[in-house]
Amino acid sequence: MTDDRAIIEQVLSGDAEAYARLVDRHYDRCARVALRIVGNREDAEEVVQDSFLRAFRALGDYEDRERFSAWLTRILVNQCRTVLARTRKRESVFLELDSRQASFAVPHEPPEVEWPELEQALALLPPDQREAVVLKYADDLTYEEMSRITGAGESALKMRVQRAFARLRGLLQEVPSV
Amino acid sequence: MSDADHMDLERHIATALHAPLGHAASARARDAIMARVRRSVASDGMPVRRPRPFGHRTARHSLIGVALAAGIGSITTLSTLLPGAPALGRGASGSAVVASAVIGDSVVATLRDTLRLVRLIFDEPRASEVAVIGDFNGWRAAGTPMQRQGADGALRWSVTLALRDGDHRYAFVVDGTRWVADRAGRATRADAGRLYSLLRVTRDGAAAN
Repeated sequence: MTDDRAIIEQVLSGDAEAYARLVDRHYDRCARVALRIVGNREDAEEVVQDSFLRAFRALGDYEDRERFSAWLTRILVNQCRTVLARTRKRESVFLELDSRQASFAVPHEPPEVEWPELEQALALLPPDQREAVVLKYADDLTYEEMSRITGAGESALKMRVQRAFARLRGLLQEVPSV
Repeated sequence: MSDADHMDLERHIATALHAPLGHAASARARDAIMARVRRSVASDGMPVRRPRPFGHRTARHSLIGVALAAGIGSITTLSTLLPGAPALGRGASGSAVVASAVIGDSVVATLRDTLRLVRLIFDEPRASEVAVIGDFNGWRAAGTPMQRQGADGALRWSVTLALRDGDHRYAFVVDGTRWVADRAGRATRADAGRLYSLLRVTRDGAAAN
């Protein structure tokens, strides 16, 4: 985004406070992605804060051939992976579900704010599938951008998204019409 | 589920994942991030746009190729140049002395940006780690690490930098705490209480100035 570049130039010219505008522009998107990948708000907030700080420190390395949002997401995903690796030994932050028995309701219309059953179903996906489907649909990234961010090939990412949807279809069941 | 149901489900999921969280960018979250940003500026300084020696993919390949060639040729080149450089030895305060030399010729990153490979050598056998900091790396505290060379008795540190022609301010950080200016140069200048040196890079070579 051109506006992002203008703000970045302002920061690199010595105006650190201008960075707050970049935070405002990208915080919600980053929080949305981080929450869906790491699965809880506390870790997601930590991930987002750490990512913005890392991005600030590395701003001199940012090259505007790449969208700033994609560059920031790459930092964010790495932070998510770090947190997930750290918490792998902890008990699941989601419901204690037996994934073979899990089944969640699907609303007739997409919920405007939250859909807890979807969050729970996402938690049952393997991390690489969850990451792929979140980047694709929560962040509007192309497969090419996803490939640069995750380091996985485009065809592998498409496969992960397909498998994720197949799994989600099995978990999410239609609510009977009233 | 039918195919239509599958499409609906996919649409539902896509819409839900894309929906705002509802708690959005709170002022508290932004304030927390900016507080950490300010602490970072206080401790490490502002981020600085770095030179783009690898600005284009083709240039990246060119630079690596020349850097490898320069590495091979540096033994001869340095042995030729060092006798003419300021004598190695201890400075008045016991600090180390540095020699610098251009070890590689022009590297074309873009048509207008010519980079020269400059090797800095720093003589400090007692150091555990040494980094060079300067305009070229944004004066970041971590700097650019120098590589240890030689055995204990004749330990030296070296690093190769890709620099544009012109003057570059720089200094060394020994063991992460001690700031040392290059005493090979005639002029070390105070800047906000710190000493730094000027490295002048031209087509004819590099010298502490």
